[in-house]
Amino acid sequence: MAQIELVHLSKVYGGDVTAVRDLNLEVAEGEFVVLVGPSGCGKTTALRMIAGLEEISSGEIRIGGKVVNDLAPRDRDIAMVFQTYALYPHKTVYDNLAFGLRMRKVPKEEQKRRVEEIARVLGLGDMLQRRPAQLSGGQRQRVAMGRAIVREPKAFLMDEPLSNLDAKLRVQMRAEIARIQQALKVTTVYVTHDQVEAMTMGNRVAVMRDGKLQQVDTPQRLYDAPVNLFVASFVGSPPMNLFEAGLESDDGKLVCRIGDTDLELPSDLAAERPSLANYAGRRVAVGIRPEDVREAAGWDGTRLRGRILLVESLGSEQLVHIEITATPLERSDLVDIAAQPPGPSLGVDDSERSVTLLGRFDRHLLLAPGEAVEVAIDPRLLHFFDLETGAAISRVDVPVATPVAG
Amino acid sequence: MTSGTQIAPTPIPPIAPRISGRRRLHKLGWNVLGVIVLVVMVFPVYWMVATAFKPGQKILSYTPQWIPTSPTLSNFRDAVHQPFFWDAVKNSVIVVTVVVALSVVLAFLAALALAKFRFYGRKAFIVLILGVQMVPLAALIIPLYILMSRLHQVDKLTGVIAMYLTFVLPFTVWTMRGFLLGIPKDLEEAAMVDGATRFGAFVRILLPLVGPGLVATSIFAFIQAWNEFIIAYVFLHTPQKQTLMVWLASFTTLRGTDWGPLMAGATLCALPVVVFFLLVQRRIAFGLTAGAVRG
Repeated sequence: MAQIELVHLSKVYGGDVTAVRDLNLEVAEGEFVVLVGPSGCGKTTALRMIAGLEEISSGEIRIGGKVVNDLAPRDRDIAMVFQTYALYPHKTVYDNLAFGLRMRKVPKEEQKRRVEEIARVLGLGDMLQRRPAQLSGGQRQRVAMGRAIVREPKAFLMDEPLSNLDAKLRVQMRAEIARIQQALKVTTVYVTHDQVEAMTMGNRVAVMRDGKLQQVDTPQRLYDAPVNLFVASFVGSPPMNLFEAGLESDDGKLVCRIGDTDLELPSDLAAERPSLANYAGRRVAVGIRPEDVREAAGWDGTRLRGRILLVESLGSEQLVHIEITATPLERSDLVDIAAQPPGPSLGVDDSERSVTLLGRFDRHLLLAPGEAVEVAIDPRLLHFFDLETGAAISRVDVPVATPVAG
Repeated sequence: MTSGTQIAPTPIPPIAPRISGRRRLHKLGWNVLGVIVLVVMVFPVYWMVATAFKPGQKILSYTPQWIPTSPTLSNFRDAVHQPFFWDAVKNSVIVVTVVVALSVVLAFLAALALAKFRFYGRKAFIVLILGVQMVPLAALIIPLYILMSRLHQVDKLTGVIAMYLTFVLPFTVWTMRGFLLGIPKDLEEAAMVDGATRFGAFVRILLPLVGPGLVATSIFAFIQAWNEFIIAYVFLHTPQKQTLMVWLASFTTLRGTDWGPLMAGATLCALPVVVFFLLVQRRIAFGLTAGAVRG
């Protein structure tokens, strides 16, 4: 067990393609950190550099305080779980599990004891003599996990280990991996593109984009206080609603104008975010989580009028697509495009800009497409972002960026 | 063509027999064709073996004798006692063993480089390997003879071995590369993370997985080196240094051809190939396709 430090880590391919840019990250001893981001964001490259499978262009990697830049993978004492599992097809499950021990010259009896112990824990006890081809996807996944665990390494590196499983098994293995990691308390770096996996498994989550680290924080803080538009749009499923709005100063009070509706911002909110006042008279990006979009019955504040486009019933709740009048966010370069809901529906008058607002509503509400609806938005639940940089206009108690190892 | 593949869930009785009848006819046609091809392929081999067991006067009789009625081993005795038989056996075994061993090792290493590493001129090299295969042997044999004689390798087994390697290697490298490309990079990397060196990962993970490829290429090398005639005939003059194929040609003399012992000798020469093939055929069937899928 050891901590892992990435210091100003960069990877450049062929002199011009930068896969990882100046990545600083500290993974504490026994911590489970998830690297997450859309494909091509450099997360796998970063992991492979930690493993020693990819050369480091610049920067430093320390495992347990020791610089490992020039160490071969075998000398780093880490274990890796691959996306394809990478089980040795010509070896039995037993030999797959024992391979790392054999390489490290662990005595035979010790090997046997440890392999059998792991096999028992993972429920592979009666499959030790089978070959990988004779196993199901879930069993292969377990063998891959077992091969990493049995070595008792300083750290686990996992590269999208669940992406080859079907949805049900994925949820099951997700919990199992998290449970194993908690029991063993081994430092773990886990790579995934699935933000649900990231949120549910990690002690901390590091969001990456285009080779750059965006934010490292606990899942809850990441959700509650994203540092920029990208993190806001990437984290959360369904994603945060984002649109443009104008901020006006009216008699010392800040007013947020969404479409043609004015939303008065309470003074305590303005006090919490002093820099918000600087944006008076300017356009900002505004975000609201789907669960914070509410049906307006009983709400005595300002209401937004909209029209229901689509109702998706999820059983426990319903996901409602509501068309409201507002300016769509046009800085698609600042958000995670894949997470954005579809644009305005057909038949909307061009002069009237509209935005689809996603709301998570109680399942007992009777709603039908085409109906007019009023939604309540509590200004306190709004997220504000700078339209130019995409950076969050944050609360005073939230540091702009999480301090990282330097 | 195959109108027999019906999508309709319930077959209609009056039509069904007609379709299956046509399908049966269709199948029969292919089977007959298959049998004809088999006979054409097998007959010369059968005739060789049959002739080897016939006594001298029956071999060239005007009414062909399909089955040897009074089989005899005298042809085999004559063949084995022909001068230089054992020299030829020894030479062939040496040549084949060295060619197979060297070509498998060299092809594995060369293919490894081509499949796993990126280096300058890699593409050109791969194309060159294929290009070499296109040049006919007859065009090469004279320049090669001159080259080899300068190197004092004419009438020496080492010279012939070197020549065989030049012809066998391109194919074996190409085939092995296909096999190696079929093995995911992750396996090697997993082994390296698990504690193996790069070389250790090659030996413990890649080598066993590429086994079928090694078998396929070694069979190819074996057959090439064992059956090759022209190079051996041109390069090896001294009777003591000739390989079995050249020795077989010695049955044809100015006075005519001694068919009985020739056929017996040919049968004996064919045996090792058949035996070798039978030993490894279970793996080659898998091996050739396994390499072919990802080439």
